Amino acid sequence: MNSSTTTSTAAGEKTGRPGADRAAGRPGRRRLDSRAWAPWALLAPFLLLFTLTFAVPILTAVAQSFTRVTRQGVFGEQGVTTQFAGFWNYAQALGNDNFTASIGRMLLFGIVQVPVMMLLCTILALLLEGASARWPAFFRASYFMPYGIPGVIATILWSFLYVPGLSPLIDIAGRFGVEVDFLGADTVLWSIANIVTWSYTGYNMLIIVAQLKTIPNEIYEAAKVDGASPWRVAWTIQLPLIRPALVLTTVFSIIGTLQLFAEPQVLQSVSPAIDSEYTPNLSAYTTAFAYNDYNVAAAQAVLIALVAFILSFAFLRLTNRKSQ
Amino acid sequence: MSPLSRRGFLGLGMSAGAALLAGCSTPGSTSVNAAPVIPPASGPVKLTYWAWLKDLQKVCDIWNAKNPNIQVEAVWIPSGNSGGYPKMYSALAAGTGPDLAQIEFRTIPEFLLVNGLVDLARYGAQDYADRFDKTLWGQVSFVDGVYGIPQDSGPMATFYRPDLLERVGADAPATWDQWAQVAAELRKDKVYIDCFPLADPSWFTAIATQAGASWLRVDGDGWVINMTDDVTLATARFFDKAIDDDLVTTAFGQYSTPWFAAAADNQIASLTSASWGDALLEGVSGGEGKWRVAKMPRWSDGFGSSYIGGSTVAVLANSQHPKEALEFAIWMQTSKEGIDALIKYCGIGWSPLRDYIGEQREQPAAFFGGQRYNEEIFLPASKEQNPDWSWWPITQQSFNIIGDGFRKKASGGTLVDAIVTAETTIIDAFRNKGLTIRKATS
Repeated sequence: MNSSTTTSTAAGEKTGRPGADRAAGRPGRRRLDSRAWAPWALLAPFLLLFTLTFAVPILTAVAQSFTRVTRQGVFGEQGVTTQFAGFWNYAQALGNDNFTASIGRMLLFGIVQVPVMMLLCTILALLLEGASARWPAFFRASYFMPYGIPGVIATILWSFLYVPGLSPLIDIAGRFGVEVDFLGADTVLWSIANIVTWSYTGYNMLIIVAQLKTIPNEIYEAAKVDGASPWRVAWTIQLPLIRPALVLTTVFSIIGTLQLFAEPQVLQSVSPAIDSEYTPNLSAYTTAFAYNDYNVAAAQAVLIALVAFILSFAFLRLTNRKSQ
Repeated sequence: MSPLSRRGFLGLGMSAGAALLAGCSTPGSTSVNAAPVIPPASGPVKLTYWAWLKDLQKVCDIWNAKNPNIQVEAVWIPSGNSGGYPKMYSALAAGTGPDLAQIEFRTIPEFLLVNGLVDLARYGAQDYADRFDKTLWGQVSFVDGVYGIPQDSGPMATFYRPDLLERVGADAPATWDQWAQVAAELRKDKVYIDCFPLADPSWFTAIATQAGASWLRVDGDGWVINMTDDVTLATARFFDKAIDDDLVTTAFGQYSTPWFAAAADNQIASLTSASWGDALLEGVSGGEGKWRVAKMPRWSDGFGSSYIGGSTVAVLANSQHPKEALEFAIWMQTSKEGIDALIKYCGIGWSPLRDYIGEQREQPAAFFGGQRYNEEIFLPASKEQNPDWSWWPITQQSFNIIGDGFRKKASGGTLVDAIVTAETTIIDAFRNKGLTIRKATS
């Protein structure tokens, strides 16, 4: 983006530069070859940790998702055998209505919550970066603050506003003759969505603000000269230029939605409507650590990763096609 | 970055990964109880004890002062399913873990499934069987083995508010039919007699146990399931009607935050719960002196009481000193000194001993208006238990399955349907674990 404004003045320089680089690079390449270990040595700490804490666990999980255990005796005390199971664990995971329902629930959650949050954070970012904004630094910090509160604490805070008998909101609504139930089977998903939106809007806003700050002043000046209204500036200059940030935050939000865990886990203690497999991650957690079925849990984890991958990829494809 | 070195590196990574994979099979596939018995140590030993009891170290210190050769260190962990069990399971899977650990009665078979517990009968636990309550000892014994030492339990009774019941001219109900009548009267006063927890079926399970149910038992090499017996279905039908008639609330469970709010607001007249509820009830603000304890309502058949909850102290599979661990556990659970300290410091539930409830529990309680409720109500209740009840290897999963069914009650389902469906699902879950199970034929 920066280069586009300087193209006319630096055109001559630009054409010469790649060739010069290449010429300078060639003799250097041989020297590097003789010291080929150097990048590896520098990369080693990263690669070691990456392999041990990322690659190996993922490979182990994938391998576990293809094995199953059979037991002889009442508890397997007469022998336990582990064998290759093909896609048996995947069939188990997909045959579990609670697990498929949890994925469906998160898709519904994502379709509603992600656009609402993106809209909110975009509006906030545009307002804060608007020419007439007062104390933008203060408001930026206060909108960002909820992100600094861990999800568990945020949920406990919000649960005091959700629980009947404790919540002033319910009392006030009751005074007007409105009965609200934030924790019922139909409403609790949106109560969670509210907590998530509250927590992450500020964070996403900050990414968009950062992108807005990269828009060169010349463009705004040109718009001013052309007599563009603030609406027009937002619509035809800012929105198209923060598109990469919007795409990035949306992909993060889609992935985050599928990984929802802490909020429903904590809210479970006050809402009987949240079962132990309310979200895909809760389901995998329960299968692994409450049912001790690591194999099916591994299959669930792989499936969650696949769905997140497919959704993110589809979204990226969609936005790329549009921009072309 | 030459292509050769990249490929070489990848190859190295793949072979390292493959080697690691070969080393890790599904955790818990070998049994410690097939290995030879570990002889007592000749020198001093140090034992670790994972539990979610507060101030447990103070109890251990009493023992440590007298037994320089067996020093016990207590480590606090989060309670059971809230993080304690996952921690133990991971430790077992990694081949480590403490010597002793707190495990609930209903979870013992789950740990057996991952070969996580030492069979204490091989270290002489049976010699102490007669000191313990027979029903509880039965719940730690499976196929000739003993897999934990009972630590505490929760015999059931009814905590009630005489003032709220008097307003409708009632006393604590003696039978479940009376309970339903009193509940209907209370509703006219906008008071609930109790709540029915749809999400946590352990309460329903306890009431069905009181009625005489025995859902699973071991037969030879496999399990026999019978959840759809007459008493269970009658219990389900009874509470289906109670919920339909709005006699109980399903909006929250006992001791949940909304429950405490409702109780403090005089909207809860009673709760049928376990002995350990006495300490929790003290969290009801302004509740001092207002509550009393009565025997729980009875069915026409069945038993006088039931159990909810209760823990054991078990020896985990990777302990190097099971004999010493058992010695400590027996001291802690059968000596008056141990029981009194556990009550005083850790506030454990009902003592599992046959003939000692603990000194502190022989005193009258100010919160319950000076009632000696432990001796009057809970002591007899602990003797009127269903001795045939046994837990099974997928208890938690079964409870979740039943809870999933119960939740459908809110959208027009019935508890009866939930139980019938759950039985089939639990049979499938057993088979998916590679276990043998059949439906009772009678």
